[in-house]
Amino acid sequence: MKKKKMHISQETMDVEMVRKVEQLSGTSVRRCFQCGKCSAGCPMATFMDHPPNRIVRLLQLGQWQRILAGRSIWYCVSCETCSTRCPNQVHLASIMDALRKLSWDQDGPSKESYVQLANKLFLQNIRTYGRQYELRLAAVFNVKSGQFLKDMMLGPKLFAKGKLKVFHQKNKNISEVEKIFSRIDEMRRKGEAL
Amino acid sequence: MSNLKYSYYPGCSLHASATEYDISTREVCTALGIELQEIPDWICCGATPAHNVDELLSLSLSAKNLELAEQVPGDMAVSCASCFSRLKFTQHILGKSETKLKLVEKAIDGPVHLERRVKHLLEILARDYGLDKLAADVRKPLSDITVACYYGCLLTRPTDVPNLDCTEAPTIMESIVETVGGTTVPWTHRLECCGANFTLSRPPVVQQLSNAVLESAKNAGADCIVVACPLCHGNLDIRQKEIESIYGSSYGLPIFYITQLVGLALGIPPERLGLDSLCVSPQNLLKEKKLIQGA
Repeated sequence: MKKKKMHISQETMDVEMVRKVEQLSGTSVRRCFQCGKCSAGCPMATFMDHPPNRIVRLLQLGQWQRILAGRSIWYCVSCETCSTRCPNQVHLASIMDALRKLSWDQDGPSKESYVQLANKLFLQNIRTYGRQYELRLAAVFNVKSGQFLKDMMLGPKLFAKGKLKVFHQKNKNISEVEKIFSRIDEMRRKGEAL
Repeated sequence: MSNLKYSYYPGCSLHASATEYDISTREVCTALGIELQEIPDWICCGATPAHNVDELLSLSLSAKNLELAEQVPGDMAVSCASCFSRLKFTQHILGKSETKLKLVEKAIDGPVHLERRVKHLLEILARDYGLDKLAADVRKPLSDITVACYYGCLLTRPTDVPNLDCTEAPTIMESIVETVGGTTVPWTHRLECCGANFTLSRPPVVQQLSNAVLESAKNAGADCIVVACPLCHGNLDIRQKEIESIYGSSYGLPIFYITQLVGLALGIPPERLGLDSLCVSPQNLLKEKKLIQGA
């Protein structure tokens, strides 16, 4: 693989965004001294273009767009190993959440749309049914991602084992759940919440 | 017998793909005299997808569940590692940040109840009920069975949040398995990630990570793996066959929920523990170890 040179310039610096990340995640990126323990323990580091410690370094340098253009944040599996092992209490797993949220809002240039699609459908299901509805989640994911046959072999087995329920779970609080979603939408429209 | 009472939050998986975990949790608690009363009309905690892209939503869903739990007295009992993690995270974050607390109060249009204690079933068995008492209840000790206890991610991590056990060297699951007569093995991957919810969006990642977990348990000489999380179970059990064919290996490791093994040791009939729902059949192993009847 050809090694790309990384250009960091003041023009691409976005300190405002870094402040937002810190606010959302409740952690300070300035505490990081690049020991690399987060990347050493990360089970997903091999799949990432920027390993976790570099994500923090890029944030320290305000290079927000560079993170968004990469795929790392969509390969983080939220195992919390980085946050656990950081000697400086940088909660990197929460930083990843904040980055995904900001990227999600911007509908950023991430090409890792399968994870975004899965998250989106998961949340839609909660909004509609109040609880997760696994069969629908898997079916709609396959259709929308164009992988009609993905995990098809598992379907009949799961049915036979009683693990795949045909109907969604009944819940009297469905309207309460919808209200939570719409109140949050409203708060964001008014600029009261990030 | 005991007089322990809890408000029970099963979570979505336990009412669907992990139904055997729900069944065995209830059976074990009934056998020990632990009363579980399900929280009426609980809602989804949002799990990983919600906090991944929308922390406020994630906190609000869990805060709503804490509010719903007010209808039932007692500490909150949770079997799912992910729900447990989300509820504890919510209490932790909202206890620290006044700003986020105000936003969540507005989102759920009511007060947030942070004082309720949320407990994972492992700590209810090991600490509230107690290992000594549990040992006295064993009818069929799991002798000769070698178990690899798999914690995965969310039961112990990060520091300060679940507060269930040590983040790097937990022992709570081993202590339960040994109390009911099993032998546990030290192994390398008991705290590594199985790939979790990437099972929907990125199966190859899950296959790779879960393969490493299975391989490590097999190499350590385990007969089976025991878990306390529906996602870990799904990845290791449901996907085990395809992992074997991809990596050309042959593990044949039954994956039990902790409550299924404890239930067997308590003498609960196997058919009431949902063993039939496991994709990797434990029948041969259990027959060999004389834990169930059969030729």
